[in-house]
Amino acid sequence: MIEVKNIYQAYGEQEVLKNVSITIPEEKITAIIGANGAGKSTLLGVISRLIKQKSGDVFLDQKNIKDMHNNEIAKTLSILKQANTMMIRLTIEELVTFGRFPHHRSRLKTEDVEKINEALHYMDLEDIKHKYLDELSGGQRQRAFIAMILAQDTKYILLDEPLNNLDIKYAIEMMMILKRLVTDLKKTIVLVMHDINIAAAYADYIIALKDGQVIEEGSAEYMMDKNILDIVFNHNFCIAGFRGKKICLYHNDIAYEEGPNPPLKIIQDYFKE
Amino acid sequence: MVKHRRTLWILSVIAILSIVSYLSFWMLTTTYELFPQDPAIRDPMRQAIMNILQRRGYQVAAMMIAAVLIATTTLAFQTLTNNRILTPGLMGFDAIFVLSQTFIVFALHEQSALYQNPYLNFLFAASLMILITLIVYRLVLRKNKNHIVFLLLFGIIISTLSRNLASFLQTVMDPNQFYSVIIRTEVTITNMNTNIILLALPTLIVIIGLFVREFKYLDVMALGETHAVGLGINYQKKMNTYLIYIAIAMSIATALIGPITFLGLLAVNAAREMLKTFKHLPLMIASSLIAIVAIVLGQTIIIELGYQTTVTVLISFVGGLYMIYLIIRENHKK
Repeated sequence: MIEVKNIYQAYGEQEVLKNVSITIPEEKITAIIGANGAGKSTLLGVISRLIKQKSGDVFLDQKNIKDMHNNEIAKTLSILKQANTMMIRLTIEELVTFGRFPHHRSRLKTEDVEKINEALHYMDLEDIKHKYLDELSGGQRQRAFIAMILAQDTKYILLDEPLNNLDIKYAIEMMMILKRLVTDLKKTIVLVMHDINIAAAYADYIIALKDGQVIEEGSAEYMMDKNILDIVFNHNFCIAGFRGKKICLYHNDIAYEEGPNPPLKIIQDYFKE
Repeated sequence: MVKHRRTLWILSVIAILSIVSYLSFWMLTTTYELFPQDPAIRDPMRQAIMNILQRRGYQVAAMMIAAVLIATTTLAFQTLTNNRILTPGLMGFDAIFVLSQTFIVFALHEQSALYQNPYLNFLFAASLMILITLIVYRLVLRKNKNHIVFLLLFGIIISTLSRNLASFLQTVMDPNQFYSVIIRTEVTITNMNTNIILLALPTLIVIIGLFVREFKYLDVMALGETHAVGLGINYQKKMNTYLIYIAIAMSIATALIGPITFLGLLAVNAAREMLKTFKHLPLMIASSLIAIVAIVLGQTIIIELGYQTTVTVLISFVGGLYMIYLIIRENHKK
């Protein structure tokens, strides 16, 4: 279980996270949503020890990550951030092989090779495993990185905006893959994302951040609520139902037809407290 | 390793040929008869040949040590800064070493052991340099790693500042001190400092050994900081350690043959093009061999041409052009 307690983080004067405490449910997809600058990526960074927090603690299976060895963390938790340009040129297979590094730390054993092949097979990359990363489409590239994380074989997988730069087809494909990881391989996945509808459709649990604080958290069904979303995004939403699932419309012209602008008052009340 | 074996063999052969030619080519152009029959001439002649060979042997050793150190540190430094353009030379490591040595002469009494003994002097200068580089580069590299242009400018500023500071100290010191500073700092490939070779050789072995042990981590660190941390590498700690190794290696290389800014850039990038791999071990062997060839063969040719120019100029010319090419190519990618 990942437990986050009283995380405070600031860059200079600017407070990014103000005493955030959350518990991530096991074997589920948890989506962290929020407007730009709400502190989503920073929170993910702190949980994955990429960012050092000013105060507060993160517990991985009841162990404080401050007391854990780096390699021990790497065997329980993996993180994938939007990949910036790499200096070296790698094939998919070479990249996925790096995922085993925390386990062998020098030379590949047969068990590692098996895991690598499994990951390649699972992400359907076997046919193109000798291709270089810069020759791949956005979707393939993203799948290659997920395969690396799979080879790392961790219980927890953190993903920072995994759908960025993916068009709708690949974004949905990616979410289906993540869903399968949870059901087939019993992984716990945390992701930061922008698209509320995709979050609602595929995530089991949603945590909403605003100005460095957790505003509300709960099941996707519960979180798809006009009152909550309006506050989180400072926007006038319209929630609609489709085949028993809630979706939200955010085009202002559609939303305005619903009537005048009620949420403004809620926002003001919220910040008075 | 296996698939690179052929390239590495070829490079080794060329490197050995360069070394042999540096040791022997002078005999071709000498006007004296090399193997006279008359013992009265033969014995002093033998002695003279032995002397030349010995001197050249030391010089070749110095060049080889410096070449391996420069190539290896450049490789590691490029992984740390996550690009293929920056080198310790460009970032002003050698200029800082010259400043450290000048400062020691300036601050210490002429008779002090630190100043007289070449080993102690070197050790002190190297420690001072490690201190400066750690303070400066830790601060800069931590935050600005992805700004290559910023780092390049920073390197230029640090180099210029250190050089000017050194020459200012040289201007205000007394003539005797100035003279001994010049002996220690105006080291070039034609005016090598082979005095510290007994210190340089073991240091080379230790530094290279340490680096080879760390190559598996450097391989992972080449993925970039985020991935490396995600895969369980203590990135900041490793970076500090490697910066210390780099500072030691650069101080030895600079003390031996003086600054050669573009050698590392040229050797490491040529090795990357030849091997097309990301693994540090084969890259390090190949780039070291290329650096040895560039510097030893270059020096042989220049000596045979009668010192028309220096290897440093030659390497700077080729390396500078290559760097411009790399920068343009890097910009095209984006």
